[in-house]
Amino acid sequence: MIEIRIHGRGGQGGVTLAKLIATSRFLDGLSVQAFGLYAAERSGAPIQAFCRFSAEPITNRNLIYEPDHVIVLDPTLIAPALTSGLKPGGWILLNTPQAPSDFAEEFADYRIATVDATTIARDNGLGTRSMPIVNTALAGSVCRMLGFPLEEMHAALDHLGFQGPNISAATRAHDEALLLDAPRRPDGERLAVPPPGEARGPSIVKGAGAAMPAIKTGAWATEQPRRRQMIPPCNHVCPAGNNVQGFLNALAHDDVDKALDILLRSTPFPSVCGRACPAPCMDVCNRVELDGAVNVRQMERFAGDRGHADVGPDARRSERIAIVGSGPAGLTAAFHLARFGYRVEVFEAADEPGGLLTAGIPEFRLPEDVVAREIRRIVDLGVGIETNRRIDRPSLLYLTRRYDAVLVATGLQKPRELQLGLNGTQAVVQGIDFLDHVHRGDVRVDGEDVVVIGGGNTAMDAARSALRLGAASVRVVYRRTRDEMPAIGEEVDEALEEDIRIDYLTQPIVLHEVPTDGARRLYRLTCRRMEPGEPDESGRRAPLEVPGSDFDLACHRIILALGQSPDVSVFPEGTEVREGAQLLGLLETPVFAVGDLATSEGTVAGAIGSGRRSAVHIHNALSGDSIEITEHADALRDVDEWMDEVAGAGDMKLHLFERQAAVEGGDLPVEVRRSTFDEVHMGLEDTTEAARCMSCGVCNECDVCCTYCPEGMLRRVRHGLEFDYTYCKGCGVCATECPRNVIRMSQLSS
Amino acid sequence: MTVQVVTGNQAAGHALSLAAEANRTARGAACGIYPITPQTEIVEYVAKFPFSKGRVVPVESEHSAMAVSIGASLSGARAFTASSANGLAYMAENVMVAGFYRLPIVMVAVNRTLGPPWNIWADQGDTLMLRDFPWLQFYCETNQEVLDTTLLAFRLAEDARILLPALTCMDAFIVSHTQTETSMPEQDQVDRYLPDLRLPHRMHYDEARTVGGLAWPHEGLSMRLEIDEAMKRTPAVYEACRQAFIDIFGRDPGDTIQPYETDDAETVVVATGTMATTAREVVRKRREAGRKVGLVKLKLFRPFPEERLRDACGSANRIAVLDRNYAAGAGGVFWQDTRAAFQGRRDDLLIQNYLAGLCGGDVTPAVIETILDDLETREAAGEPVWMGIESGEEVTQ
Repeated sequence: MIEIRIHGRGGQGGVTLAKLIATSRFLDGLSVQAFGLYAAERSGAPIQAFCRFSAEPITNRNLIYEPDHVIVLDPTLIAPALTSGLKPGGWILLNTPQAPSDFAEEFADYRIATVDATTIARDNGLGTRSMPIVNTALAGSVCRMLGFPLEEMHAALDHLGFQGPNISAATRAHDEALLLDAPRRPDGERLAVPPPGEARGPSIVKGAGAAMPAIKTGAWATEQPRRRQMIPPCNHVCPAGNNVQGFLNALAHDDVDKALDILLRSTPFPSVCGRACPAPCMDVCNRVELDGAVNVRQMERFAGDRGHADVGPDARRSERIAIVGSGPAGLTAAFHLARFGYRVEVFEAADEPGGLLTAGIPEFRLPEDVVAREIRRIVDLGVGIETNRRIDRPSLLYLTRRYDAVLVATGLQKPRELQLGLNGTQAVVQGIDFLDHVHRGDVRVDGEDVVVIGGGNTAMDAARSALRLGAASVRVVYRRTRDEMPAIGEEVDEALEEDIRIDYLTQPIVLHEVPTDGARRLYRLTCRRMEPGEPDESGRRAPLEVPGSDFDLACHRIILALGQSPDVSVFPEGTEVREGAQLLGLLETPVFAVGDLATSEGTVAGAIGSGRRSAVHIHNALSGDSIEITEHADALRDVDEWMDEVAGAGDMKLHLFERQAAVEGGDLPVEVRRSTFDEVHMGLEDTTEAARCMSCGVCNECDVCCTYCPEGMLRRVRHGLEFDYTYCKGCGVCATECPRNVIRMSQLSS
Repeated sequence: MTVQVVTGNQAAGHALSLAAEANRTARGAACGIYPITPQTEIVEYVAKFPFSKGRVVPVESEHSAMAVSIGASLSGARAFTASSANGLAYMAENVMVAGFYRLPIVMVAVNRTLGPPWNIWADQGDTLMLRDFPWLQFYCETNQEVLDTTLLAFRLAEDARILLPALTCMDAFIVSHTQTETSMPEQDQVDRYLPDLRLPHRMHYDEARTVGGLAWPHEGLSMRLEIDEAMKRTPAVYEACRQAFIDIFGRDPGDTIQPYETDDAETVVVATGTMATTAREVVRKRREAGRKVGLVKLKLFRPFPEERLRDACGSANRIAVLDRNYAAGAGGVFWQDTRAAFQGRRDDLLIQNYLAGLCGGDVTPAVIETILDDLETREAAGEPVWMGIESGEEVTQ
């Protein structure tokens, strides 16, 4: 009887090679056996297979302990242990490009054959490039080595259904096998055969789990998992630079104070933005593809309103910084500079701080006490705010002499005009002026029909304020469609709920006074219908007039809300005002423009982002530091690898998430709203909504990977994942189960 | 009929498929089956088989697999399944139901160690766990015996005198995964061997009935007694099925008890499965050396062939019972029944239990030599001997 032991890796076809050899002998009339030694192995694990053949019926049902020959499928398995029990003078067939003589010293008691079966298998397209299946090639070499006719192996291959490339591989390996038919030490001392273990094994009650033989399953791996995170889309687009995913994750764990702390790293105005932000994060939320965006705006409001955080200066610095304007940009810059430890003075022309936040956004959308509370947090940092102090060109120069740096954050001051014929009379008012009067409480529009021209938030705010101040009717005239309106969608919805009519694709042309008997003046606004034209450079479709479509609207008041432009008269003529550019370059003191003045972004969030960037910029200029602002979760940046790519819906495993509608929260009833400036939206009751955040591209420590790891080799240590590659067999279950796809498999090079 | 190099699992899959297909002229074939190492290859084989009437139903567990087979069998289909180890443990409730329903379901079991600790190798503890259920149990030695016994089991189980389910067992890997030459019958041979299944208590659509409802003590007792009577008829009916098998296939599927060199034996080894193959070789060599030693291979375990076993052991005065199983607190299962068979009949007889090959250990000729040496020098029977462990040795790590 001849017995052969085969060493290979799971997936290389060792058991099939045993069967091929057995079948070729069976077809020659011998009794045969072929079997594997099976355990928990998977692809890539070292395995053994066996075959035996004999002219007599085989009655041996045992494993093979003393083989006549050994075959090695994988070059990485070539080691002295191969010869365990091998009868002296037996053949060792190695799959290697090397010559048999290279192994003559190592295996001096044996005959050696080599063949480059891997190359032959690859050339014949057998298996994959990373895992070529070498068994049929080696079958050919076995014939050559043991002196069987190749035809008998061809017959065995055919018998088992192997054709074409397998036959070619066997033939080529038969021809190319190199044989060293003379052991270097034919009469040498035989290697000791390790006896099979017969001693008593470990006790289960004495900790057998730990005492069991350790199988280093990491050796089987052809791939390994790593955590690689991506940038969440919300973080990526947030104009304020907020770590959206981060604060939502804190809220999802009911840690409101931590959520606020995360927000305050970028914005001093979470309660403000939680009400007044257009929330571009919600437009790009990947959850839109599943069941609607996470209600980030309301969650930010929740954190801002309910959280508690102690913020103080991180250091004490002697430099003094002047900031002109106390709107969101100026105050954000003040906040961050104060936290860096600078002495900050803010100069405000109006009689109260806040700029647009106090004078430009009405109570029902942004209550005054909310703004006051967030400004107080800035003042408590030691920031001085001087009101009723308008800075003009001469006083700006004065500031540059008294301060180490000056930031100008005067925003967009000059309202855009539309000449209708009666501008300058009480018939036409500017939206921001109207809202300022609304804020001061010295205007009413009882019984009036009011027309608001524009499509932004100022238009909506003015219209809704007019309604609350007694207007008989309010209509908004806008020359494009709803899709192009810059106002926050939810605000437009609320205006429509309140019975404000919006005339889209309508261009006001001229305003005439209509004679009346009464004390109240009446006007006629002639408008023209428009239709959408070709998209312009910005992608917006420019409206085109529809000839002969003019019509009249009767009204008592026109409110213009067409946007504002910056007032740069404080700077010398010809100054190019843009963020990051040092202005008044001849002076030693750095002067910067901040916020809408520099960017014209026109949102509170944009102003906050600009204020923060400018604060860091100033700090770097004054201190020599080089702090960089990242647009995504910098708190997690140091944890492990980042891909500088934004996680899209396609990067997520959306099927692993339960569908769950967004929590919208309640509004004041429409009938109540008409007579009160009380806040319309009542906010959310709890943090349930935050748990809808899928944490796109960022590990939120859900630990599903650790739960599913079949080897138990994956665990989380604080915020890190520890992969024990000694035992990781590269099965990829962790990567498959990660709902946010932050675990990636990478091929191991051999 | 061709001889092919196949595994024990493939041999079993072939027998199950051909047997079930043979019922296409009656109510066809149907079964539930669920994969488990080392039986999975059987599932693959039968799932691929193109049954012309009926189908293999994929299920989510062994419990459901047997439930489907019970339903199929009750409606007159030829039903089968296969499982192993912990799968059998999970299936157990319905295994019992199939027996008490008197359904001629044939199950192939690949004997694997019950976990934990996890272990996929041979150990008979899984099917012996079911020993008190109303099932016939056979333990096979080779791929060929698995195939032949599985075919025979259908004919035996469906015989109107028996109507009990049957279990064909093979050692994990040593048989299930070892490829060796095996004679594979053709469909027409199996068609001739297995007549259409005519289940007397078959369920019909047009005749609504409840089975397995409440029975009074005297009713339940009668049904138990009927099972016992069927068990008692089994050896005789088996012999008839065996002769019919020889007629059609030209090959002996083997007797329920297979003595080897026992005629004048003073020492006898009682063994099952592949341990019997190895023991036979050792006995042959000892006989060559003039030692009076014999082997009794136990193929049928339920019903336990007490009388045949006693006869086969002849006048031997020392018996070694090899058990690849351990009934906790009671030693080896085959040993218990062997002892009981001689109870009160041969007080001079020394019956010693050897627990060998447990949890997948390899029972080599050397192990059996050690056993025979121990048996022949022993003054009296004692506690079961655990082979593979040096007694008295402390656990050291």
